[in-house]
Amino acid sequence: MNERTREYLRGRFGDHYRQVSIEPPPRANEREWGYIPFSEGGTRMVRHRAWIDLVGGADDLADALADDSVRPQHVYYSAGSYDDPGANSMGRKGWRGSDLVFDLDADHLPGVDPEAATYAEMLATCKEALLRLLDILAGDFGFTDTDVVFSGGRGYHVHVRRADVQSLDRSARGEIATYVRGSEVEFEDLVRTEAVGGAAGRTSPAEKRTLPPEGGWSGRLHERLEAFVDELVAMDEDAALERLRAFDNVGEKKAAGALRAMRENREAIAAGNVDVHPAFLSVTRTLLTEALAEAGAPIDEPVTTDINRLIRLPGSLHGGSGLAVTPLDRDELADFDPLDDAVPDTFRHNDIAVEVTEPGVVELLGDTFSMEAGEHRVTEARGVFLMTRGRAEKAPE
Amino acid sequence: MQRLHARYPFLSAAREAVQSADVDLVALVREGGPAVERGVERVRRALLEGTAESEERYGARAELLSYPVARVLVSLLDAPGATEKYARAEAALAQRRFVADFAEERSLRSGGETLSLGDLLADFGLSGDVRPTGDGQFDVAVAAYLRLSSGLDGEDWRLVRRRLHDGVVPVDNAELETLLREAVRERVAEGLPLTVPDPIAEGLSEAVGQLRTAVADADPPRSFTGRMEPGSLPPCMHALLDRSRDGEDLPEHSRFALVGFLATFDDLDAHDIAAIAGLDDPERVRYQLQRLRDDRGVAFAPPSCATMQAYGDCVNQDDLCAEIAHPLSYYERRAGEPSGAEEDATAD
Repeated sequence: MNERTREYLRGRFGDHYRQVSIEPPPRANEREWGYIPFSEGGTRMVRHRAWIDLVGGADDLADALADDSVRPQHVYYSAGSYDDPGANSMGRKGWRGSDLVFDLDADHLPGVDPEAATYAEMLATCKEALLRLLDILAGDFGFTDTDVVFSGGRGYHVHVRRADVQSLDRSARGEIATYVRGSEVEFEDLVRTEAVGGAAGRTSPAEKRTLPPEGGWSGRLHERLEAFVDELVAMDEDAALERLRAFDNVGEKKAAGALRAMRENREAIAAGNVDVHPAFLSVTRTLLTEALAEAGAPIDEPVTTDINRLIRLPGSLHGGSGLAVTPLDRDELADFDPLDDAVPDTFRHNDIAVEVTEPGVVELLGDTFSMEAGEHRVTEARGVFLMTRGRAEKAPE
Repeated sequence: MQRLHARYPFLSAAREAVQSADVDLVALVREGGPAVERGVERVRRALLEGTAESEERYGARAELLSYPVARVLVSLLDAPGATEKYARAEAALAQRRFVADFAEERSLRSGGETLSLGDLLADFGLSGDVRPTGDGQFDVAVAAYLRLSSGLDGEDWRLVRRRLHDGVVPVDNAELETLLREAVRERVAEGLPLTVPDPIAEGLSEAVGQLRTAVADADPPRSFTGRMEPGSLPPCMHALLDRSRDGEDLPEHSRFALVGFLATFDDLDAHDIAAIAGLDDPERVRYQLQRLRDDRGVAFAPPSCATMQAYGDCVNQDDLCAEIAHPLSYYERRAGEPSGAEEDATAD
């Protein structure tokens, strides 16, 4: 990014902040604030700022950001609250508590190849994961009051600010993260094994494995299993056997055994018994191990466990895309298109000249363009997007 | 002062009772007496035997005041792991008492001197977090569950294994009691070690000295170099070894005791220990070994005689057993004895 580009973006980000109002998070004065200014080198973070240091006498947080002394490329605030948020080290801040934060980033999504997938595809996959995350948070954790934010970059943030999560320590947050992710959960973790019939111990090999229905991961997987069994039982014999043989290590004999066991043990399976037949158990293990990986939300664990994390400020601009960090209502979510709805109004109305240095596709404002290298006039939002991503420089008007 | 406060001195009501009694702590510790004696006993037994229970009968006042005295003592003692161990012992004592009280409450024979579940929850600010669902089952709010279970070992406490739904974790009666014990432990440990004002520290210097001696005496050796001599093993370890070699799946605590004991021999690695004890899972042994050898402090020391007794693993006691408080001390004493002419002959 050259000097002309930097000064242009710095000025326009400032113009944006002059035009908007930003609602600060709750307890803003107990939080640490930080930002990365538009400066050469570009990644020096100004941090350990108290609210008063940042906002001073300004009427609105956005006015403070518009000020010539700030005009940031990126703005952050802490998930944590402190006695003295402006103190220069964590030890001296005096931790009071932290919001519980979840970060879904397209870079970390399994099954997404950042090299191959388009930006829009990654964001769409990310939104599916977001819906699963919100479902787990509401259904399992009872966290129905969440703040959902498009990060302005490659994903979404979810903030839980209720009083009872504030004091949770790293390890408790780690338990929550593992639960939400699901992928590190093992089938064997969820199955209860009890010895049945006769003396327990080595002399009696009889064990009964159950997957407790209702509640938790075992309940969620049990639902999956029930649906699978219903589906197979309803199929005609040949189709069902073929479906079963598609599992690893399931041959003709095992498939027939498993299918018979499903038909004859509907009630036992409904009650959680997964030990009705050895082949059924191994099919179940495979099916549910896959389900565990897909049914969770691949959040970035360190963000959730770090009680002192700095998070992007909702309402601010993302300095790596020019998109707005956008708070979202639950009912807006389904229709939200980040590459259109998060484009700030400030950048929608003018055309500007840019020199494209890294040609390629630009998806924004509902259109996909292929940009050649060289000078172009484009809608400002597209120009800002290219410049903030390092793919173009400002050209003289 | 109520008997209830004496039995549960960590409750807010008990703390208020101490405050309103307007006791001059400096005078109390300078003069000594039953509250100080009992305070010393609390700490001594907590560190050596894992319980804060008394072996004698004290009056309610001494019992109640001994708790703040004990907190001061354990702070002055300033020994590694001491505050944690003390808090665990107080919590274990509290658990025994409230489990009995809850049973009495349920049988409706309570005469107002017992602690109800509701009272205990209220004192810990958990009233809104725990709800009975019938048949000895309870729903615990997930945030409270996470906080209280964080110090508990065991896969079954992991959130992913729980049937979490609508913000609550279902637990059974025994699990709830364990979580409440953790709440007590957390409260007892809160603020420890205290900063003790000089006049109080001076008043307790003699008591602290006694405690130090007692702890040092009971502080067993933590590692042995050289070959393990099977003939010097204490009877309890012989018994556990025999059971394990016969193919019995030892209960968790017994296995921990045996592996922990053998882990003090620096020459033995996980495979050796698994082979000696007839265990077929050296990986698990290796895991336990890592934890033990990483921390040779009080926290992960193999169990004392008192603990072995509590679990029913103290068997076939001999004369030496009466003189020691820890199986490791037994080995140290026996292995240190001259074992006959043969060895003398090779000594040079």
